Amino acid sequence: MTKKFMKWFLFIAMAGSLVMMSGCRSKNKNNVDMYGSSGMIGDPLIGDVPLDGGFNDGLPMDGDRSLFPPVYFAYDSSQVNPEEAGKVEQVAQHLKKGKGQGVIIEGHTDERGSREYNLALGERRALAVRDFLISLGVNPSAIQTKSLGEEMPENMGHDEAAWRSNRRAVFAIY
Amino acid sequence: MRRNFIAGCALFAASATLAQQVVVRKGGDGKIGISFAQFRSGSDSASQTFLSVLKADLNRSGYFTVTSQGAEIAVVGQVAGNASQMKAEVSVYKASNRQRMMGKSYSPAANLARKLAHQVADEILLAVTGKPGMAQAKLAVVGTRTGRKELYVFDIDGGNGQQITKDNSIVVGPKWTPDGKNITYTSHKAGYPNVYMTGQGRPVSNYKGLNSGGMVSPDGSSMAVILSRDGNPELYIKSLRSGQLQRLTRTKKVEASPCWSPDGNYLVYVSDETGRPHIYIISRNGGTPKRLSSSGTENVAPDWGKNGLITYCSRVGGKYRVVVADPRARTQRVLDTDWADYEDPCWAPDGRHIVCSRTASYRSAIYLLDTLKDSPVALISGSGDWYSPACSP
Repeated sequence: MTKKFMKWFLFIAMAGSLVMMSGCRSKNKNNVDMYGSSGMIGDPLIGDVPLDGGFNDGLPMDGDRSLFPPVYFAYDSSQVNPEEAGKVEQVAQHLKKGKGQGVIIEGHTDERGSREYNLALGERRALAVRDFLISLGVNPSAIQTKSLGEEMPENMGHDEAAWRSNRRAVFAIY
Repeated sequence: MRRNFIAGCALFAASATLAQQVVVRKGGDGKIGISFAQFRSGSDSASQTFLSVLKADLNRSGYFTVTSQGAEIAVVGQVAGNASQMKAEVSVYKASNRQRMMGKSYSPAANLARKLAHQVADEILLAVTGKPGMAQAKLAVVGTRTGRKELYVFDIDGGNGQQITKDNSIVVGPKWTPDGKNITYTSHKAGYPNVYMTGQGRPVSNYKGLNSGGMVSPDGSSMAVILSRDGNPELYIKSLRSGQLQRLTRTKKVEASPCWSPDGNYLVYVSDETGRPHIYIISRNGGTPKRLSSSGTENVAPDWGKNGLITYCSRVGGKYRVVVADPRARTQRVLDTDWADYEDPCWAPDGRHIVCSRTASYRSAIYLLDTLKDSPVALISGSGDWYSPACSP
């Protein structure tokens, strides 16, 4: 086999597997699977919205956390549940009315699992809330995300109730 | 306060060593009996420290039992010192035929007694067994002693502790640079999670969003890092020369905890793209990652040893356990541990031991696990919680 032929063969094989993969995905979308039904907020199939370039020097570091209640998450999930969606909509209203310059979304996890993984999971939660705010028309540059992982629990306990109240995204309005 | 704390750690290490000693059954348990009966020590504190640290290191190595009876190996020589200087002569003989296996003399400053003992312990192990030791390794750990999460460095025996950061913030995931001189870590000291390197004021990564899991490549040219700048936590390689970024993963889910292969051609990391966190290996040039872990509801915190084996933490039967995996043979073994949670494993440079955190009743300490047979040994414990150990190369 020539190299050229090999290349084409690989290309066709890859294209074929892509078609198969997308077939699986659309099937998943119609089912109520581990991600919930299709179109959920924080659905992994929604495209990522890049953070607007550059470094975090000079970004606002703090804000008022007392204005809006936190959004809570299921274990190991970064999806905004329908019953929590109203909280995000309130924040979107507030920002679109120009009542705040912007928001820092602080992502948190419970204490279980690896600290490094939890730092990434906290960011994923903050980003899911960010995606939701953007879909509601909030300017992406007015939204900052900050993961605190498992490092700043709201509840110092070690039971289900404590873990539930620690899996959260907090709105700090600046 | 700090002095008391360090003294406390040294004491603890000493008591842990006592617990580790076993009765000599010559050749029976596979340990080599080693005798100091013909080794003379001065009564000065440098000499005493040297001898006790050396014996503890040899016992901890897993290969020796320090004993006065029926020893196969004899350490012959002397150590003496004063307040400023010390001098040691160390020869090692095979008892059966008086064959000399090692002979060296040293004259360091008296305050380097511990350092010298660690060096001599590794030299004796190499001379007798041909195997590399771990006695000279350092541990970078996160400690909560001050009420905040700061970075500390200890000798691997738990002695000589030093607080490195005083940021009043959060330190996550320390990793050594390949030359063993610096540590990269994530800190919130500037408000957002950035990656820092000891000895540098400016962060080595501070893009918008998440910067974490920074680990410098074996050739020192680049750094693996988790960034969310493109809208999701993904694995990148950042050139430390040009600052240029190379994105390796595209998953829409969470990536974390990258660690380089010894040759620098691959990275092992955590991804939950299938819904649960698992261990994956990817080429440093990108491409399709290969999943390494097959069981367990949660597989996190991989560390790729110079021995080619990968250790990681797996949730098995509701407990966090330490797994040793061979990525070539695709075999995996869960180490025997008790009911506590064992997390964040990392290879000691001897390729035999693993350092990890052990959490029991919500308190965490640093432990040494033997992949061959010895029982776990506490290295750093008390004065708050200790976790996320990283072993210097």
